Amino acid sequence: VTLVTATGAQPAAPPARRRRGYGRYVGAKVLGALGSLAFVLVVNFFLFRVLPGDPARTLGRGRFRTEEQLAEFRSTYGLDQPLLQQFLTFCKNTLTGELGVSLRYRVPVADLIQDRMWPTILLVGTSTVLAALIGIYAGMVSAWNRGRTVDRLWTGSTLTLYSMPEWWLGLMLIATLAVGIGPIPGIFPTGGLHSVDVEPGTLEYALDTAWHLVLPVATLTMAYLADYALIMRSTLLEEVGEDYLVTARAKGLRDVQVRRHHAVRNALLPTTTLVALNIGFVVSGAITIETVFSIPGLGLLASEALTIPDYWVLQGTFLVASAGVIVANLAANLLYGVLDPRVRT
Amino acid sequence: VQGSHAGHRTAGTAVRVLTAAVLLLVPALLGVVPPATASGGSSEAADGTTTFTVGLLNEVDSFNPFLGIEATSYEMWALSYDLLVGYSMKDLSPVPSLAESWDTSDDGLTWTFHVRDGVSWSDGEPLTAHDVAYTFNRVLDGGPEAVTWGSYLTSVQRITAPDDGTVVMRLKQPNAVLPLLPIPIVPEHVWKDVSEKEVKTYPAEPTDGQPVVGSGPFRLVEGTAGGSTYRFEANPDYWQGTPHVDEVVFRVFKAEDPAVQALVKGEVDFVHNITPVQVAALQGRDGITAINGISNYFTEIAFNTGAVDTGTGKPLGDGNPALKDPAFRHALGYALDLDRVVQNAFQGGGKPGDTVVPPAYPNFKWDPPEDEAFTFDLDKAGQLLDAAGYEKGPDGLRTMPDGTPIGTLRLFARPEEKSSLRTMDLFSEWLGDLGIDTEVKVVESNRLTNLILDGEYDAFEWGWYVEPDPDSMLVNFTCDERGGWSDSWYCNPEYDRLMTAQNRELDGAKRVDMIRRMQQILYRDSPYLVTAYTTTGQAVRTDRFACFQPQPDPGGTLLVQYGAHNYYTLRPADEAGDCDGVTSAVGATVSGQPAEDGRSTVVLVAGGVLLLAALAAGGFWAFRRRTTAGERE
Repeated sequence: VTLVTATGAQPAAPPARRRRGYGRYVGAKVLGALGSLAFVLVVNFFLFRVLPGDPARTLGRGRFRTEEQLAEFRSTYGLDQPLLQQFLTFCKNTLTGELGVSLRYRVPVADLIQDRMWPTILLVGTSTVLAALIGIYAGMVSAWNRGRTVDRLWTGSTLTLYSMPEWWLGLMLIATLAVGIGPIPGIFPTGGLHSVDVEPGTLEYALDTAWHLVLPVATLTMAYLADYALIMRSTLLEEVGEDYLVTARAKGLRDVQVRRHHAVRNALLPTTTLVALNIGFVVSGAITIETVFSIPGLGLLASEALTIPDYWVLQGTFLVASAGVIVANLAANLLYGVLDPRVRT
Repeated sequence: VQGSHAGHRTAGTAVRVLTAAVLLLVPALLGVVPPATASGGSSEAADGTTTFTVGLLNEVDSFNPFLGIEATSYEMWALSYDLLVGYSMKDLSPVPSLAESWDTSDDGLTWTFHVRDGVSWSDGEPLTAHDVAYTFNRVLDGGPEAVTWGSYLTSVQRITAPDDGTVVMRLKQPNAVLPLLPIPIVPEHVWKDVSEKEVKTYPAEPTDGQPVVGSGPFRLVEGTAGGSTYRFEANPDYWQGTPHVDEVVFRVFKAEDPAVQALVKGEVDFVHNITPVQVAALQGRDGITAINGISNYFTEIAFNTGAVDTGTGKPLGDGNPALKDPAFRHALGYALDLDRVVQNAFQGGGKPGDTVVPPAYPNFKWDPPEDEAFTFDLDKAGQLLDAAGYEKGPDGLRTMPDGTPIGTLRLFARPEEKSSLRTMDLFSEWLGDLGIDTEVKVVESNRLTNLILDGEYDAFEWGWYVEPDPDSMLVNFTCDERGGWSDSWYCNPEYDRLMTAQNRELDGAKRVDMIRRMQQILYRDSPYLVTAYTTTGQAVRTDRFACFQPQPDPGGTLLVQYGAHNYYTLRPADEAGDCDGVTSAVGATVSGQPAEDGRSTVVLVAGGVLLLAALAAGGFWAFRRRTTAGERE
């Protein structure tokens, strides 16, 4: 209903345009995503090869006394082959699901990524969802009560949290809620993902992990909050003056109904984009928070691999990160097609 | 642990350090219950096991002793494996370990090690000379093992085990660095199944719940390379005595502040590699002993003394010609106020440096006599430069002896450590006072390594870890290392002669003389200006654990030493006593409690910092309010 009303508010579109099917739309988007992925694959390889630094020299500093030792190291990891040859090997390996072996840890990159994936998804995923839910609510309340105390409170506090450096916020939470100050007892752990002595796979393990995640998730959620709150607030404010709301009110609908069923529905589109995009970035990790709370996630893995540079880890993590964004974008596009038929053209 | 440029310390910003100070002191200021009582001061868990937990700032890169390079990995191997010859706690000189004794033939070409009887692997198999010979031969045979450890056996021709108790080592030429051999001895009956090809990715981690087989005081039961916790259980049959704790757990933190917070709270009992500011903040606390331990690290300003293409012998890169002159470089030694460098760049965590052998090794160190030692004296630096022909031109800038301008010296600093840039900023200022134009540039270590090898730099700031025998450090200044590990392109035939001679000299006293002479030459020719001997910050919950002997003793660090000595001597504080007579150990009853003074100053400082923070927060809030108000219009 609302979509029709919204379209009605715009200049009439030429009616003659051929309406394409949703299937065709999906096909085009999927092809586009695959193209992006292939492009990322190529960039992925060459981007890291142009990085300054030679892993043999970085890892071998003070260790490889002779040229033979350097050569041995290079040949072990195929670093002595021509770049093109290395690229072809890389393509072949990636297509067969082989991500290579980390130069630093000497373990398969796929294993490393798998180990680091869950902490990151738990941390960043939970925070993104929480921040989106609370942020959308906050933006809605603020816009609807524009200029009143509740708006000032929400907007002020989300902006304040947004402007605080994440690491500082995290450290403050550690100092107050993990170590304890005055009457506040330190009930949460200072860092890490789980205690040492719990058995994996048990309920205790799950609860222990959740308990460890409270502070980092709280920090990230607070940091992300403003993104959603502000977008939601501004898009909803644009809707507030629209005629269709007057119409809705004239129909005798209660304020809550006008807000929920008419205004918010229309204001949700930009926020949906933001949520979808940010979910794509979940697997990129959150380097700062992973650092402060010592959570072994993908962000840290990638940032530490840069110092070597550990080519295979970098390629693996960036492939996962790019794939995450591309897939999330695709999902957003497909969702758009459902939410708003206009974009199918 | 090895001579490595890879700094293991996380760079912390000034802000972070300040915050750490505030955070640490907030509870102190509010007069909260001290941590000792807050968290019980007990080291025993409910189920009766005693666990000692260490917070580290770097993860293990491999538990396989033939693969890893991180200092953390060396520490894990020390817990799991033994060395043939150990390092003394007092001054890191060789002491018996798996080898009870050793002797050398008169020509210095045959070394015989007598392996201790009755030592077992943690799976019950006996440890014999064959395991030792097997381990060394794996390295001698080349491959990945040689990449890591080969440099220690370059003079070795053949290693055999004629019987269970004897290892015989035949050398190509005498080698004075022996008997020090930091190669962990691994069990042949386990490693013989790991082929040359497999060893490259062999993790040497627990499989199917079975601990890793080793002979050390602890064995790994849980943990993987790159992971964030590593759990070791005590080896009750350890040949140097059963450890006093049941478990040692390592937790990896990614930043210093949270690690310190975890210590204060009692989640960990020990933290390693914290900043001097954090050490100072912790020193006032009950139940915690915090130290700045002597480390084997020095920092330097290195010069491009003349890069050459080692193949053709032609000049390489674009180094400034002035720096090719030892007299010019030496004069700059008087333009460095090292006290200020230590205070400003290293937050006071260290001592002014002089030679490339740190004071952790007094046996080898050469101390410059007063008439040779650099002092901060810009007038003297100027006179020396004048005398060498680098006089000031009409524009106030010094010129080359032939009157051409010197140009701008490029001083490279690394972003990884804050101290690097601060050192170079200070140096640049003093060189400016001398009439030498400079430009400070920040480049990543990776890129800097390439610039150095391409000779495209004038000076840079970096540092080295020096092993207990300075041989491996001193070799970096030989002509042969140019294009390899030399990063100053220094080449001096006299120095090279001494290098070879000391390496083969079996008379200890004569060798030390040569090593000191070499340091003197380096000091005079100044390819490096050594800026500081930094310290390693560590803190331990002495209300819970005791008996940590410093290495070197006195003044050294308490853990992350050469060897695993303290891991099997440390014990719950209430069982400490006199730590079996080691009165220098931290926590031994005779040594008394940590001093309590300095607390009031600390509180004052904290108060000031807090006030500032509160003001900043207040101002910030006010500003926010204004913006929201503005937005409302």
